[in-house]
Amino acid sequence: MQSNKLGWILLAPTLVILFFFGVLPFLYVVFVSFHQWNPFAASPEMIFNGAENFRRIVFDDAFLNSLGVTVMFVIFAVLSELVIGYLLAQAFMKEFPGKSIFRTIHTLPLIMAPIIVGSVWKLMTTPSIGIIPHYLDEWFGITMNIGTSAPAAFMTIVIMDIWHWTPLVTLTLIAALVSLPRDPFEQAQIDGANKAQTFWHITLPMITPALVATVFIRLMDALRTVDEVWMLTGGGPGSSTRFLGVHIFKEVFPKTNYGYGSTISVIVLYLTIVVCWLLYVSMLAPRKNRKG
Amino acid sequence: MNFALKVGVSALAMAVASSAAYADDAFWKEAAKPYQDVTLRGVTESTPPSNYIREVLAPEFEELTGIRVDIETTSWDQMYDKAIKDMEAGTGIYDMVFIEQDIVYSYLARDFLTDTTKLLADNPDLKAPTYSEDNFTTFANYFRGENGDLYGVPMEAFIKIYLYRTDLFNDAEIKAAFKEQTGRELVPATTHAEYAEIAQFFTKWGEDHDMDLWGTTAQAHTGHPASWYEFFETIAPTFGVYNWGIDADNNFAASVANGGEMNSDEAKEAMKWWLSMRDIAPPESNASTWTEVGTTFGAGRVAQGLVYGENAGWIAADETKSLVVGNVGVALPPLQDGVMEEVEGGTGYIGYYDGGAFGIPSTSKSQEAAMLFLQYIGQDEVQPDWAVAAPRVTNKTTYDAPKVKAMNEELGGYYDLLRDKGYLFAGAPAYPFHAQVREATAPILYQILTGDLGPDEGLDQMAAKAEAELTDLGYRK
Repeated sequence: MQSNKLGWILLAPTLVILFFFGVLPFLYVVFVSFHQWNPFAASPEMIFNGAENFRRIVFDDAFLNSLGVTVMFVIFAVLSELVIGYLLAQAFMKEFPGKSIFRTIHTLPLIMAPIIVGSVWKLMTTPSIGIIPHYLDEWFGITMNIGTSAPAAFMTIVIMDIWHWTPLVTLTLIAALVSLPRDPFEQAQIDGANKAQTFWHITLPMITPALVATVFIRLMDALRTVDEVWMLTGGGPGSSTRFLGVHIFKEVFPKTNYGYGSTISVIVLYLTIVVCWLLYVSMLAPRKNRKG
Repeated sequence: MNFALKVGVSALAMAVASSAAYADDAFWKEAAKPYQDVTLRGVTESTPPSNYIREVLAPEFEELTGIRVDIETTSWDQMYDKAIKDMEAGTGIYDMVFIEQDIVYSYLARDFLTDTTKLLADNPDLKAPTYSEDNFTTFANYFRGENGDLYGVPMEAFIKIYLYRTDLFNDAEIKAAFKEQTGRELVPATTHAEYAEIAQFFTKWGEDHDMDLWGTTAQAHTGHPASWYEFFETIAPTFGVYNWGIDADNNFAASVANGGEMNSDEAKEAMKWWLSMRDIAPPESNASTWTEVGTTFGAGRVAQGLVYGENAGWIAADETKSLVVGNVGVALPPLQDGVMEEVEGGTGYIGYYDGGAFGIPSTSKSQEAAMLFLQYIGQDEVQPDWAVAAPRVTNKTTYDAPKVKAMNEELGGYYDLLRDKGYLFAGAPAYPFHAQVREATAPILYQILTGDLGPDEGLDQMAAKAEAELTDLGYRK
């Protein structure tokens, strides 16, 4: 009992901070989401409008478009990062000349702020000035203009995200792979398992918790991507890269539509929780059942 | 005048000048005494005029008064974001905020700003002898409330002008080729047809001579408000479509069907002309905001273009940034027939008179000290250097300063144009919903720019969307 009390005392400051900087703002956003509130409307007051904002969101083409674009982005980016990150992690498990230098270079994007990443990629992709369109044209005769081509803009953002965040996946998976016991692998080798069988039946199940944690982190990040996209395309061309984060930003600032913007934020949070829960159930639950 | 008399007069003049300077210094030191522990915080966009405040005027003021001034220069979006959040929440972080010419009406509608005229009237001890509202050009009127009082001290004011390359326009070979091809002299365009002809000529000339040269600029970003402003504040007025095509006196009608002009024949013609120019502009135009348009011109990639005047200074005179120094001419934008007569007659305007002021949020906790700083930057005395560093003019006497006259030569007569023809330009319409309508309609404009929507259909949709947004906001009944 005494140690319990001490535990609560030690936790208290953290809980207070969490309440004021986490729970309270969240509750406020939920509160605002049930209101019509635009400070620059003819009536700038906050007016309770029940579930009207939530009803409106279902029929809002702009929101649905943003949702679609974001889901596509998440699928392309996160899956690619997982695959490439895993392959790189496996590569880094082996010894080869210049490994430490290569690993350092590979990790560099991770320490760059998203806004800088967006700026650098904007510089690299601006037609006439950027090196990417320049060499695509010179080497392959391909004209690339992310200001006019929606697919080019979308794919550029996916590639930029892969470049930026794959190192995180690599580092996490290296940590997971390093900690794996050798016995099951030796046993598999004795039993004559090939590489694919070893991967599916030994490696993958054993690194699944790390994999799930990594997917959660990347999924949540990808769902609220704003800064890099903002710098690179501003959501364009048209609305082709207007991800949910950018859409919320534009709804709240500069449209100053706080009520509806809050509603979208709440919905996005809900969707994130649902997707994470589905992933958790689909990836970890079977494993638990097997154990059971 | 004999030598003794000259010496005597000079000595007297110096004595008067030094005593006046001393008296001024004495005022600032005395007035600042109660605010020695104050740190003023301001937020503004990172532009040449604002950077001059941060790097020159703020340190000068700090040295003179002992009042610390922190000026935060940031991106256009962040500047709004931070200022509005602060004023909306009433946190009082900022003592000075940049008020762009169009957002001022929203701020006034929300009582976000301090009445500087009243503040000085209520605190006569704060009134600097060198500061007077009479010093300002008529641009200051955009920052006056309904009571006629000033709610912001103007800090930048410039027009969006037609810049052209004098080295290309005066090149004998080019002139001859143009004459042969078009049958007329190569001179700055006064009509859209002439402008288009020149643009097409130079784009072709660049292709034929393997040069990185195009005939026109285009501020046509497909995901940034810059393109929206380019169309509604630069292009549309030259076709006779004013105030974004919204009729405030007619229940804020935007569509032709309801009495507005956002989708009028003139607006549609303007859009088609603009798109045709965008198509022969440098490839980066689809990703260009006002900044990149300036950079494109400064890099010598275009023969002519419509450029914000705040960039004209470095383009024409800063060799570290510009490749066309000494080769820049200025002119009025090309106009549709009848527009100039209409504007001279008092209806409409031919382009955007952009700029902004520094205002004091009602939530500031150091309003008196902030007022001292605003007066400092509003004096005639600090204007000439500021106008040379960044081509903005807010005070009437600035035009007469020798260094400004010299700069005027370098800028191809830009200051003369601003002084003599500034009245033809206008700031944004007095709507309290600028950002809201812009953001509501911008996605449709971007679709027009990407070709997903035709200009006619797109403008029809924009007009309908503008009216819907104004209805949602409660302005349109």
